[in-house]
Amino acid sequence: MAQELPVDPDALREQVRGKYREVATDPGASFHFHTGRGLAARLGYEAAAVGALPDRAVESFAGVGNPLSLRRLEPGEKVVDVGSGAGFDSFIAAGQVGPGGQVLGVDMTAEMLAKSTQTAERLGLGHVQFREGLAEALPVEDAWADVVISNGVINLCADKKAVFAEIFRVLRPGGRLQFADIANGRPVPAEALRDIDLWTG
Amino acid sequence: MLQDSGFTDVLIGEAVDTFGGAKGENKARAFEVYGYAFMARRPA
Repeated sequence: MAQELPVDPDALREQVRGKYREVATDPGASFHFHTGRGLAARLGYEAAAVGALPDRAVESFAGVGNPLSLRRLEPGEKVVDVGSGAGFDSFIAAGQVGPGGQVLGVDMTAEMLAKSTQTAERLGLGHVQFREGLAEALPVEDAWADVVISNGVINLCADKKAVFAEIFRVLRPGGRLQFADIANGRPVPAEALRDIDLWTG
Repeated sequence: MLQDSGFTDVLIGEAVDTFGGAKGENKARAFEVYGYAFMARRPA
């Protein structure tokens, strides 16, 4: 029997894409969430690592936690960043894995991909690349990654089981999933779960 | 859900007040929404 989802995945995806297109192109606008360097400090990222990045790598950051707070990445690790946005977490990861590692960011928003790709080029980070794709269908071969990271993305996916199954597929046996996301302490009413506007606003 | 997907060794970090002071703070407070770091492992 097919799993019943609270909202239409395609409609939600379009709403999310629209919101994060704006975060990419107008990061100084007012959103319901924090962004940029202030948010990175709030979430406990290492100040030196963030300070070393140019504004364009940080200003569109809109994560909800620090996926690297429970474990620092090791030099040489291969990392997939699911929903990489403008690349902030990918660039932090790139600094931890070093030039002997690889970071592959995946995002569905063209404006975010353009920004992250240009930033990687400007920084001369040959071990960082970005690809277009969905969390439910990652453009990554089986068992490629030592680590999968993500930040504030899975809560915006209608079919979370599909996302976790896809992450499991691209991780090597023994590999780690390190992600940050929001969780609610009080139950959200069913009618609110079906209101697509509340997922992004 | 992580364990249902085959992951093991699940760890959850401390709650972070992700939305404090942001426009979305009221909604976040209404449902006690916080940010968390998670870690899990694909079995070897």
